[in-house]
Amino acid sequence: MKVRRDGCVICGATWGDYWSEIEGQRMFFCCDVCANEFSNMVTEVKKKTGWESVDEIRMEGNYRGRVCEALSGSQSYTFFISFGDDGSIRNFVERPET
Amino acid sequence: MTEMARCPACERAYGSYEGLSTHFSEEAARSDASHIMWLNRNITKDKGRGKELGSLLFEFFDTGKTGLRVWVKQRFIERFFGLKPHPFVLALQHPAKAVLIGYVLEHQHFLRQWVRSLSWVLAKTDRADVVKEELDNIVTEFYGYGDDRPSHYELLIRMGQSLGLSRETVLGTPPLPATVSAIQTWQAIGRDKHWLETMAAMHSLELIANRDVKQDGAKITYFDPQILQNDEITPETKAFLHEGYEADVEHSEVPLEMVERYAKEFGLVEDVQITFLKSVEAFDSYLMARLERGMQFDGRLVAYAGGRAA
Repeated sequence: MKVRRDGCVICGATWGDYWSEIEGQRMFFCCDVCANEFSNMVTEVKKKTGWESVDEIRMEGNYRGRVCEALSGSQSYTFFISFGDDGSIRNFVERPET
Repeated sequence: MTEMARCPACERAYGSYEGLSTHFSEEAARSDASHIMWLNRNITKDKGRGKELGSLLFEFFDTGKTGLRVWVKQRFIERFFGLKPHPFVLALQHPAKAVLIGYVLEHQHFLRQWVRSLSWVLAKTDRADVVKEELDNIVTEFYGYGDDRPSHYELLIRMGQSLGLSRETVLGTPPLPATVSAIQTWQAIGRDKHWLETMAAMHSLELIANRDVKQDGAKITYFDPQILQNDEITPETKAFLHEGYEADVEHSEVPLEMVERYAKEFGLVEDVQITFLKSVEAFDSYLMARLERGMQFDGRLVAYAGGRAA
């Protein structure tokens, strides 16, 4: 899975030193909350799409909420996601009309 | 540097900003979420700037040049009206109907908490000017001055009705989780903190509709004032927004002057700063709840969350 390598996979921060294995891949996060967020995001995308794997999730936005495009092979899936304080999904809106 | 520096994440007190900086670095090294989130949102995401963290924290909290009232305004403006304005503020510039519906359904819960929070101030303060200010505010916001000057709460309900919502729907729709969480934060502040901190926590939020924020560095105001002149929004929506537009200059400026004066007298400047920042964090999340409620009615609003217009 293609993820950013210049900082936390979710927020880009270089603080912290939290490593988590997601989809069989070891990834850097600044904290457990960001790791939970990414793990929950990937799980939700797979659940909604039925995909067996996700190649990449492109994100736009910040802690307030993110507009994302998930990619798997030639397929694409766009959604909005926001999280609660513990990294659980607060809101997930599928395929918005943009 | 000032004598005391209090951690905005865990509220521990340190003797200097260097001490606070060391504390933040240690908490970040052990990947503590609350401290890292605070740094990310307020100072920097870049660990490489760790060596200058003490001076960055000092600069962030320093009220020496401007005083507490202006410091509060500057921090508020940076968060909501700065280079990356809050998505709800972007959406409200020329609001779609769903944005306003989201506003109505969540804000009625906010206004009910507003009265509770100001009541904490009334219950705890011994200052007559504070009592008078808070009573006047509660009447304006929630009770009104007869048929000629309905309360802000009543104007909000009428705005909802003009958008096709019944009064029962407005009053009977439960708040979204982010609104609930924010309300719990404000209730805890009122219950646990000094009345002056509660006063700062709440009245600083009225800066959101202060039409003069551009004079203090805001890139945009809460909404484009043109919408009060043209036919983009209903007359009831204009009445609601206009009320805040007019009242919130006084409703934010006067109490913040009191906060500045009493904070010095009571030696509570740092405590007020920390509680204000917690309130702003809750408000940020609450404004997203308004937008997310609106998304339930119009999925196109998600575009604002990415920082661009729908």
